[in-house]
Amino acid sequence: MVANEVVAAAAVVEEPAPASAGAVDPMRLASRWRSPAEWGAAAAEMEAEPAPSELNTTNSSGLFAVVSTDRMSVRYLGVNQHGHDVGVVQANRPAPTRRAVYYFEMGVKNAGQKGQTSIGFTTENFKMRRQPGWESNSCGYHGDDGYLYRGPGKSESFGPKFTSGDTIGAGINYFSQEFFFTKNGSLVGSFQKEIKGPLYPTIAVHSQDEEVTVNFGKEPFCFDIEGYIFEEKMKQQSVSDKLDLQPDISHWIVRSYLLHYGYQDTLNSFDMASETDPPSNHQNGYGEPPEMYGLSHRKLLRQLIMSGDIDSAFKKLGEWYPQVIKDETSVICFLLHSQRFIEFIGAGQLEDAVKYARSNLANFLTHKAFDGLLKESVALLAYEKPAESCIGYLLDSPQREFVADAVNAAVLSTNPNMKDPESCLYSCLEKLLRQLTIQVFLGIKAFKLHLHLSSELRDETLCPSWKERDSPRSGDVDHDPCAITDTLILEVSQYTLHKVNT
Amino acid sequence: MFLSRIVLRDLDSIDSPAASMASSKKLVTRDEWERKLRDVKIRKEDMNRLVMNFLVTEGFVDAADKFRVESGTQPDIDLATITDRMEVKRAVQSGNVQEAIEKINDLNPTILDTNPQLYFHLQQQKLIELIRAGKINEALEFAQEELAPRGEENQVFLEEIEKTVALLVFEDIKNCPYGELLDVSQRLKTASEVNAAILTSQSHEKDPKLPSLLKMLIWTQNQLDEKAAYPRINNFSTAALEDPAI
Repeated sequence: MVANEVVAAAAVVEEPAPASAGAVDPMRLASRWRSPAEWGAAAAEMEAEPAPSELNTTNSSGLFAVVSTDRMSVRYLGVNQHGHDVGVVQANRPAPTRRAVYYFEMGVKNAGQKGQTSIGFTTENFKMRRQPGWESNSCGYHGDDGYLYRGPGKSESFGPKFTSGDTIGAGINYFSQEFFFTKNGSLVGSFQKEIKGPLYPTIAVHSQDEEVTVNFGKEPFCFDIEGYIFEEKMKQQSVSDKLDLQPDISHWIVRSYLLHYGYQDTLNSFDMASETDPPSNHQNGYGEPPEMYGLSHRKLLRQLIMSGDIDSAFKKLGEWYPQVIKDETSVICFLLHSQRFIEFIGAGQLEDAVKYARSNLANFLTHKAFDGLLKESVALLAYEKPAESCIGYLLDSPQREFVADAVNAAVLSTNPNMKDPESCLYSCLEKLLRQLTIQVFLGIKAFKLHLHLSSELRDETLCPSWKERDSPRSGDVDHDPCAITDTLILEVSQYTLHKVNT
Repeated sequence: MFLSRIVLRDLDSIDSPAASMASSKKLVTRDEWERKLRDVKIRKEDMNRLVMNFLVTEGFVDAADKFRVESGTQPDIDLATITDRMEVKRAVQSGNVQEAIEKINDLNPTILDTNPQLYFHLQQQKLIELIRAGKINEALEFAQEELAPRGEENQVFLEEIEKTVALLVFEDIKNCPYGELLDVSQRLKTASEVNAAILTSQSHEKDPKLPSLLKMLIWTQNQLDEKAAYPRINNFSTAALEDPAI
């Protein structure tokens, strides 16, 4: 196995190496290169799915109703002459879909002559002289009879009537793909969501003096929507909790992760503790992970790189695995050289950094694959306080870790018994997480969602401190302690149920 | 920039109306699937945190400490509290229930006060241990003085007490109908209940995240099976992709 040739082959191509190029391309570990700010921005964009904020004045049936100047209430105009003289108003935007539940409320300020106010959801092309629920692709809960309407000829007894002073809510539960309505803080009922496409929160008034206000979430809701969402999440959770796992599989996956990355001290402690642990047959039937190869060497190389001692890492590599750094234009050499340069900067030795860059980094300028990291590294020179610059993350330990992981992969690839080159790059855990990610997002078109997953994984629960550090998404992010799995389950179920219903 | 060009470009084809309307399952070849997989980026820190979370929650305190040094990942809980928690757990696992109760109270006296079910299960375990040790008189006394009053408060407790006391009337307790109470698994069950209660009292989740993610992987695979034939991972220990069944 001549690993350096493979690495070199990957180095000269402009794009990330295609699969057929085989073996180990540490550039594929390049997730490191997304700076914290970029991850944050992507997550913020993801969160910023626009939601309804006010009533739509241009599309409302101006003949029969007038929307107030703050666009948060509507009043019936004149006298109801005809069954179709409905004053119906949609929200300015459709209900957002990238969440578990969407919900809004309407306050009946005045039930007017006939109390024919209503609330529901309609699609974009809804006829603006009909009550929600009278037409197909709409649904509505009506105050005068308490009936639920879901299309022509489809009405049924649903809940209590409502009148002046009542607060009525309408929601979409994307978990269960249901609509639901509430009255004065209590759930009235829910039913299958059969309408597709963007859905607009809709309210209507239909007789003299009727007036309703709307609350899209700016004011606290009458209904405990947080509690409702929590219960729905728990229901979902209990479904997946009932599934059976291979016995002790988590233990095995953790162990093979430690082996893969050469966390040997952790591994030893882990194994020692596992022996005294009563269910001691942890490794039952799974065999030995393939990653014992070069364990103590890999551990030491990682230690050196993590402590910033790149010179020694180079030296040891030359002793133990000369083939890894034989080709001086290889990815591994580039990463180590650029890290050496970064370490100079981190230590404030700018002259040394410049000298080092001239003799060791300049050669790489012609290789497009290295362009991004190279430019960013060199740009560190431009800052008086590089650690506080927008590329300051290069000086942090995750960048060292990235280089250490690349070296680790390169060493693993020199194993003559290596069967699967992918295994040099990815631990068992990573393979499983990648599979999960694809499955979760299969069919969800927005690439943003993919980023969302990653950001959820990172900051919401696993790294609560991240937010304080440099989050561009200041403010209202709620720290749900079980966000990681919940959000995943949420996205998954939302997607799958959507598919099942399509 | 390099990474922002990652696009899950092929996913659209699967979600196209034609595909979802087709009655037969969509086939995703191994090549297609692997191409998708390559576009996924998992952050190393996230994986490190998952591993740290497992070590901490499962009580591998030394390993967690080593992992903190080796990977630079900060544990989400004070490691010293793990040691205490593991001592309690070990006490239950080795049958020293009284010791466990005392240690729990040292750690945080409100845990047992606010958790009557846990306290009952610990006392039930204590009774089981007395019976196992053949201390019949002591067991009877304990059952009458400590356990019986609790059974009067709660029907579920009462049934549990009846089952446990029934152990006393069998000569060959290993083979009596409630013999499973004497099994190691009963100790482990109680120990894991104790473990969860302590974690909860420290505002930490009682289960590690990794198993939930694995369960989710199973769940999504099952769901996706109805829609498509695609490379599955059946064996989590190798994480090898299986060719899709056509």
